[in-house]
Formats: sequence, structure tokens, C-alpha cells
Amino acid sequence: MNFLRGVMGGQSAGPQHTEAETIQKLCDRVASSTLLDDRRNAVRALKSLSKKYRLEVGIQAMEHLIHVLQTDRSDSEIIGYALDTLYNIISNDEEEEVEENSTRQSEDLGSQFTEIFIKQQENVTLLLSLLEEFDFHVRWPAVKLLTSLLKQLGPQVQQIILVSPQLYVPGVSRLMDLLADSREVIRNDGVLLLQALTRSNGAIQKIVAFENAFERLLDIITEEGNSDGGIVVEDCLILLQNLLKNNNSNQNFFKEGSYIQRMKPWFEVGDDNSGWSAQKVTNLHLMLQLVRVLVSPNNPPGATSSCQKAMFQCGLLQQLCTILMATGVPADILTETINTVSEVIRGCQVNQDYFASVNAPSNPPRNRPAIVVLLMSMVNERQPFVLRCAVLYCFQCFLYKNQKGQGEIVSTLLPSTIDATGNSVSAGQLLCGGLFSTDSLSNWCAAVALAHALQENATQKEQLLRVQLATSIGNPPVSLLQQCTNILSQGSKIQTRVGLLMLLCTWLSSCPIAVTHFLHNSANVPFLTGQIAENLGEEEQLVQGLCALLLGISIYFNDNSLESCMKEKLKQLIEKRIGKENFIEKLGFISKHELYSRASQKPQPNFPSPEYMIFDHEFTKLVKELEGVITKAIYKSSEEDQKEEEVKKTLEQHDSIVTHYKNMIREQDLQLEELRQQVSTLKCQNEQLQTAVTQQAAQIQQHRDQYNLLKVQLGKDSHHQGSYSNGAQMNGIQPEEIDRLREEIEKLKSNQEVLQSQLIEKESLIENLKSSQTSGMDQQFSAPASDGDSEQAAELKLELATLKSQLNSQSVEITNLQAEKQELLQKTETFAKSVPVQGDSETLAIAAKTTDVEGRLSALLEETKELKNEIKALSEEKTAIKEQLDSSNSTIAILQNEKDKLESEITDSRKEQDDLLVLLAEQDQKIVSLKKRLKDLGYPIVEEDEVESGDQEDEDDENEEADKDQDSI
Amino acid sequence: MTYAYLFKYIIIGDTGVGKSCLLLQFTDKRFQPVHDLTIGVEFGARMVNIDGKQIKLQIWDTAGQESFRSITRSYYRGAAGALLVYDITRRETFNHLTSWLEDARQHSSSNMVIMLIGNKSDLESRRDVKREEGEAFAREHGLIFMETSAKTACNVEEAFINTAKEIYRKIQQGLFDVHNEANGIKIGPQQSISTSLGPSVSQRNCRDVASNSGCC
Repeated sequence: MNFLRGVMGGQSAGPQHTEAETIQKLCDRVASSTLLDDRRNAVRALKSLSKKYRLEVGIQAMEHLIHVLQTDRSDSEIIGYALDTLYNIISNDEEEEVEENSTRQSEDLGSQFTEIFIKQQENVTLLLSLLEEFDFHVRWPAVKLLTSLLKQLGPQVQQIILVSPQLYVPGVSRLMDLLADSREVIRNDGVLLLQALTRSNGAIQKIVAFENAFERLLDIITEEGNSDGGIVVEDCLILLQNLLKNNNSNQNFFKEGSYIQRMKPWFEVGDDNSGWSAQKVTNLHLMLQLVRVLVSPNNPPGATSSCQKAMFQCGLLQQLCTILMATGVPADILTETINTVSEVIRGCQVNQDYFASVNAPSNPPRNRPAIVVLLMSMVNERQPFVLRCAVLYCFQCFLYKNQKGQGEIVSTLLPSTIDATGNSVSAGQLLCGGLFSTDSLSNWCAAVALAHALQENATQKEQLLRVQLATSIGNPPVSLLQQCTNILSQGSKIQTRVGLLMLLCTWLSSCPIAVTHFLHNSANVPFLTGQIAENLGEEEQLVQGLCALLLGISIYFNDNSLESCMKEKLKQLIEKRIGKENFIEKLGFISKHELYSRASQKPQPNFPSPEYMIFDHEFTKLVKELEGVITKAIYKSSEEDQKEEEVKKTLEQHDSIVTHYKNMIREQDLQLEELRQQVSTLKCQNEQLQTAVTQQAAQIQQHRDQYNLLKVQLGKDSHHQGSYSNGAQMNGIQPEEIDRLREEIEKLKSNQEVLQSQLIEKESLIENLKSSQTSGMDQQFSAPASDGDSEQAAELKLELATLKSQLNSQSVEITNLQAEKQELLQKTETFAKSVPVQGDSETLAIAAKTTDVEGRLSALLEETKELKNEIKALSEEKTAIKEQLDSSNSTIAILQNEKDKLESEITDSRKEQDDLLVLLAEQDQKIVSLKKRLKDLGYPIVEEDEVESGDQEDEDDENEEADKDQDSI
Repeated sequence: MTYAYLFKYIIIGDTGVGKSCLLLQFTDKRFQPVHDLTIGVEFGARMVNIDGKQIKLQIWDTAGQESFRSITRSYYRGAAGALLVYDITRRETFNHLTSWLEDARQHSSSNMVIMLIGNKSDLESRRDVKREEGEAFAREHGLIFMETSAKTACNVEEAFINTAKEIYRKIQQGLFDVHNEANGIKIGPQQSISTSLGPSVSQRNCRDVASNSGCC
């Protein structure tokens, strides 16, 4: 707290004192007043003082202000004042207005107060909860305060927000809702808050992305008119960059969410020169950078390539190329567009092919490839340095892992394809022009560009050896390789020489033919040794190193085809002229150079100024690869070399032996396969044959068995009286058939029995009915129908009798059948007997006999069939009988019905009688009463009395009879 | 590529149960035997087909370690589906399910579909948690259940797809508000609103989550 005292002491005591007192008083009021109005006024006063007396208010009031936030949440006004005051204390933004404090001090002040504030983690949580208040006076200052806390002590505040123990909505998710706020100020400040929140914190970046940040930000950018939008667009773009840069997971999400497609409209900028405001340039810059973030060479290769493909598919690359070829685009936008296109096509064949096909618009239309137009800028001194670098980068990216492109570029230099008319300039011509121009930067760029056309491409390295140059009229043409070494030896600017040496190193590495070409010029080796051996100043050390590298390459990739410059001889030369140690030391100068590590980091040639333009990224890779092996090659003695040679030879021999054996094995394999197939087919055949054999054997066995059986039977027949069973054995079918017949007969019998029993039942029933009818006839009311009844019964009886007789006849037939069956059985017996009695006879005879027997059997079978038919006929008759029975049954039922009817009639008439009787009784009573009256009146009536009593007796009798009737029923 | 719906998933569960391997098997169809600790969360995506509709699955694979628990909590709110994974060879991972479930229920939307997964079913010889126990737990808490093997790919596809089917079913029933992206569901760009709203008339209770079992 020393500095606090310093700040306080530094000010005049008078006003300081009174202000401090005022602040103290206000704080007391905030703390102790029970009236909300009072507290609110005090906080408002503190707010007004907080800018000018930041330190004092901060020290004395912070605690009270936090307390207000905790307790007075119901009053948005006081919360708003408190938040504003805290913001004034903590923020450094309004710095300029407070002229007394120096910048550094106030920065310290901000971070100090932030530290105090976040010491209690609950304070941050409290602030997060205040963000949920919709009231503008609360939410807005809360957003600002949180933003400035994050600006002051980002990592700490981020951590607190990340782990804030929010019960339902986690801290980060809560902040995302700010983007959806309809009030533009809050939404815009929300973007700033999220910027501060996501700064270099991968975990938070991912959560923010998960909460649909991409969608919302892209929506805002679209709403605001893409690059024509204001600073909000810029802020959104910065936030997007925060979310995507070096965050593979988010990049993947961005790609998978099809958001790349939504970037395309950003680059639909018209050709009109009017609309290039500073804001638009800034926005476009950020947009281009965002594209580059997705396809950065530092991303995992898979991720970059899938983004590149998506950018081509959705037309983003095409849109960028349009900007590239448009007129009136500001130089820095153009440069960044070139860089962006570079990274979109880098190492992606489809995109590279597309780029090669892009033509510059021209009037009248001419075939001017964009590549050529760009290269023209690269070798043009008047173009800005950064633009030239960007073009070089673009060219490098176009050729990166693009053998087809490399071939096309080299071919424009070859004699056969050079356009003699000179109508249009080719890429090759431009590169050569650059290589030998007077501008050292052009030399360097052209050399590096050409080196990239040869990168990892042995074919093009050999092709380029064919290039011949016509230097001046009259002189014979010089090879490109020769011309390079010529210029090198002329001792030009360092950039020119470094460029050419890098080109030569790339060209000669892994290409013994080029090495031979190089060594063929007798001036080259002495020049190199001279350069290396000389004791030159520091600035020449790099060139010495490169010369050493070139010489080393000439040794390492030397195939000893030139007798004067065999490996051994060159090594001896180094030993004599330079010394091995010295040579290795010089070689080491390259990788020790300060610009070397810079270039090795990124593929993009990005130099702060032209003098830093020394190393190419791909070349640094080559140096890394070769430094070790060359050192080894130089230190190796000749014997070792020879040994190695021998080893190599034996290895080659071994190789040839191995290949020989490999071939042999391959042949044998083929043979084996053939043989295997043969074996399998043979096996198949064998199996088939074997099954045939077993079948035949089985047949033979059967025959033999039959034969044996017949033999045995014959023997038996000859020795004993053939029994029925023997006969049955002769043919398995017959006894079965007979059994079946028997069963059928049995069934028929049982059926008959059942029918008979039914008949008996029916008869008894009829009997019953008859008796009941006769009893019914005895009754007083005899129905005339009863006569018919008895007649019917008689008929039925007759029918029954016929049925019986039919049945009898059937049973007779059945017995006949049985008899027949018996006969059949006997026949079979006789048949069995009739089998000729012979001893052992030949098979033929037996066979004949068998056929004989079989014939007889078939006759028998026919007979059985006939029998069956008869049985069938019988059963049909039986069913007819059954039907008759049924019909008689139904007539019986009808009779019964009629009887029932009659009975009901009887009961009816009886009822009538009863009624009459009742009437009679009533009338009697009346008569009696009348008689009584008459008596009373003194009228003698004797006769009638007697008559009455007699009547009464009659009635009684009748009643008795009716009772009897009822009983009988 | 166009899609009818986009579903957000999260994968949760103790460390080392095979969450990242499940995701890798599902998105890349390969298995990585070396355990590479997930830091925070990792993202993966794949398209699947449900009822003839293309559905894009965006999956966030979370870190199982306790120290990342608070980060994981931030992902529940916006997810439509969760795969809750345990390791059938380590009982303690099964025992911790309750606490994971509590977290999930507390922070997620009530309709989030949770699929319980017993992973490493290829290690039958080292099994420590019976399949029946997993089934019982799922039944008790209304989860879908499956045993999978990220190594052999057994049921991996099914686990992700069945979860999607369940979410799709809930959409059909109108239980999800497909227009609120906070539910972890988004309608594809070519989908018109009328088709997406079509079947949302019936508002039935949907606790009848069928217990699923597969080849493992």
C-alpha cells in the first residue's frame, strides 16, 4: 500500500482532507441509514466523486458498495449507481480525463482494486447474478464492470467465472444471453465482455462456441451489413478470432456447423471504388484473417485440408480470387487477400488446380493467367515490399506438394514450349527475368520461387538442366545452371547470392545428374573452395556457409561419374585447401544465423523490411536434413567410404538376390495355388466316386438280403407246411391290408351296434308315446287326431321293421364279407402253400418265382380292393338307414308336438268349465238369497230347495272328476 | 451437406471409461488403445439417418476428471442428448452414476434424453458390473440402456442412433421446442417450419422409455 500513501501524499492536504471527510460521511450514510432514499442519494454522491477521487472512494467505499449490491437488489437505481461507482474505481478507460494521475499509477490502481474486489469470489458470482436483471440501469453497468474486471485480471476472473457454483445456469452460459439482448448497447458491450472473457482461455472459448456463439455472431455480422457494418462487426470478428485461433475443437465445430459457407458473402465486395472506408478495410482485414485462422499451415493437416475443401465447394476461394483480380482494392487488402488465397490453396490439389485456371480479366479478353499477373508484381521493384512477399508466398503455396503445377511452371522455360512470337509473357520468362535483373530483391524472390518449382521433384530438377539462355547476340547460349554460377562468381549483393545459392542447393540435392552438370564446369569447385577458405568479414559468413553446403551436396550426392571430381578427390581438396574442421564450422554458420530460426517457424515469407529477406522456410528444412549427413560424409575416411561402397554393393547384390528369391517364391506360390486347386477338384471327384461305390454296395447288399430271404423262405416252404404267417411274411403289404380290413369291419360292427341301440331307444320312446296317447284317449276330451297318431306309430313300426330287416340284411352282408375275407386269407394260405417246393435253386429261378409271387400278390391286392369297395357300399347303405332313422325320429317329434297341443286344448276347456262353475255358484247364491227373502216375506218354496241340493251334489261330482283328470295328466 | 435436424450431444462419465473412444469409433470408425486424457472438452460430428431423415449429430466429449466437472456443467444446458458412460470392469464408475445423473438432471433441460452405456463389453472376463444391474439402474431412472464396446465397435453406432431416435420421437410428440436452440436442437436450413411443426399436436407423457439391449 506504499503507493497509495504516495498518491495521497502527493496532493495538497487541504481539499484532500475535506473530500476524504465527505467520502467518509457518505460511506457512513450508506452503511447506517435506514432510509433507502438516503442511501441512494449517498451512493449517487459517491458516484459523482468516484472519477475525480478514485483512490479515496475506492479505499473507503468499496466494501459498502458491495454490501449495497447484496442487500438493495430490489431498487435498481441504487444498484445502478453502485455499479457505476465500482466501474469508475476499477476501470482505466476514462484515464485521459483525470489528468493528475500518471498512466502507470492508474493502471496499478485498477488492478489493485480488481484484486480486492475478486478476493471474495462471491462478488463475481454476485455480479453474474446481477446480469440477469433485465433493467437497463443494472445490466449495462454490470456488463461494463465485469468487462473491466476481465481486462484487469483476465485469467483470475475467467477461472472464477468458469467454476462459479451457479446452480442452474453456469456463468459462461449466462453471459451468452447478452448477445440476444434487444438493446443494442448491451448487445455490443456484451460482445466486448465476451472478447475479454474468451481471451486465451480454451475452455471458455469452447463453452461460448457450444452456446451457439458462432451462429449469433454471424447473424449480427449479417444484420449489420457484413464488411460495410460498423465497429460492432469489427468487435464480432475479433471475438470470432478469439474463439477460433489455435482452438482445433472450435475450428472443427465451425466447419461442421457449415459456418464457412456463411463467410462467403463477406467477400462479395463490388468493384466500386467509393466504398472503402477505414472501418470497411479493418473489417475486411479481420475477415481475411479469420479465413486464414481456419486454414493456417500450423493447424493439424486434416483440419486444414477439410476447411480448404469446404472453401472451394462453397465458392469462398472463387470469391477471394475475384477480389485478387479486381481493380481499386486497397493495397493492404490486396496483400492480405493474396496471403489468404495462398493458405486456402496450400497443399490442396483441387484448389491449386482451380487457382491455376484463374485468368485476369482483360479487355479484349486474353489468356492471362492470374499467376503470371501476380509474378509480374513480384519482380517489379515499384510494387510494395509486403505485396511482393505475399505473391511469393502465393506462388510457393501454389507449388507446395503440387507436382503438376511444378511441371507446368518448369515447362514454360523449356525450349519446346517457349512462345516465339513473344505475344504473352510466361511464368518462366518472368522468373528468369527476375533471376537476372539488377534488383536484388527480384533476384532473391525469383530464385526462391524457382527453387519451389523443384522442391522434392527429381523430374523437374533434371528438366531444368535443359534450359538454355541466350545472353547476348553472337554468343553461344548458356545453360541456366551455368548462368547462375556465373552471376554468383561476379560477387553481387548478398541477397542475390544467397538466393542463387539456395536455388543451387535445392537443385543439386538428391539429383546426381545436376551435381555432375555443376561439377562439369571446372571453374565452380575452385570458386567454392576459394569462398569457403577465405577469411572474410562477418557479413560474408552466411555466403561461406551456403558455399560449404553446396560443396557438401556435390560430395554427398556425387555418383562418381566425373573422374576429375569423384567424391574422394573433392574430400581431399577440402582437407588440403580448407581443412575438415574449418569446413564444418563454416557449414554451421547457416543454422546459427539469427534469421534462420525465424524463417524455420512459419512457411510465410514475412519480413519486417527487405534486409531481413534472407532465408526461405523450405530451405531451412533442407539444411536441417542435410547438415548432419554432410558432416558425416566429410569426416568419413576413404577406407570407410570404400567400405560403405562395398557394403552398398553387397547390399545391392543382396537386394538382387532377394528380389530373385522373391520372384521364385511368387512363382512357387502360383504353382502351389494351382496344385491346391487340382487337389481340391480331385478330392471332390474322389468323394463323388466314393458315394457312388457305397450306393452300389448298398444295392448289392439289398439284393443279397432279398436273395437270402427268398432262399430261407424257399427252404422253409419246402420243409414245412406254409403257414399263414409265412405267407404274410412273403409280402409285407398283405397282412397290413388284412389287418386294416379287419379293423374296418370291427368299426362297422360297432357302428351297427350303436345304431341298433339307438333304434331300441327310439322304439322304447315310441312305445312310451303310444302308451301316453292311449291314456290320453281315455280322457273325457278325446281328440280325433289321436287316431292319426296311432296310425303314424304303426307306420313307424312298419318302417322300423323294414329298417330292422335292412339291418339284418346288412349284417348278413357283413358276415358274407367276413366270410369272403376268410376265404381271402385262406387263399393267401393256399398261395403260400402253392409256392413250389424246391430245394436250393439258382437265383434266376428264384427271381422268376419272385415275379410269379408278386403277380399273385397283385391279384390279391385287387381282390382286397374289391372288398374295400363292397365295404364302402355297405357303409353307404348304413348311412341311408341312419337317415331313415332320423326322419322317423322327426315324425315322432311332430307327433309329440301335436300331443302337446291337444293337452293344452284340454286345459283350456277345463278352465272354461271352471269359470262356468264359478258363475253357477254365484247364481246359486243369488237364488238362495232370493229364496231367503221370499221366505222372509212368507212365501213357501219347498220344491226348488230340493232341486238345488241335487244340483250341488252334481257339481261336487264334477269337481272330483276334474281333479282326477288333473292327476292323470 | 444439408440436414433435417441437428442434435447436440454430450458424453459424460468417470475418467477412463472410454468416452473419447466411443466418439472416435463413432466419427472415425477407429479405436485408439492408448488412453489420452481429455482436457476440457473435444468436439466431434457425424451425420446419421433416422426414418429417412438426415440428422446431424454434434457431440461434445467431456473430461471425466473431477477437476473438469464445473466445465462439464456448462454443457448440460444446451444438449438434447447425453451419453452417460460407465466401465463394466470397474464398479466404482458404476457407483458414481448417481452423482453424474444428479448433475445432469440439475443442469439440463428436463427433456434431455439420457442413454446409459456400459462400455468395454469386450472385456467379459474382467466384468465387474452385471448387465442386469445396468438395466435395473436405467429402468429405475428412466434411461435407455446399452452395453457397448468402443474397441470392437459393438453397439456404438446403435447407442448414438437410438439416442437420436428417442430425441426424434420426442420432437414428433411435441415435447421439444425445436425453435429454441438452448434445447440442443436445430432445424436444418432446408426445412420449412410447417413440416417441423406438423406432428407436434399430441402431447403425451413420455416416461415409457424402452430399455434397449443389443449384441453384447
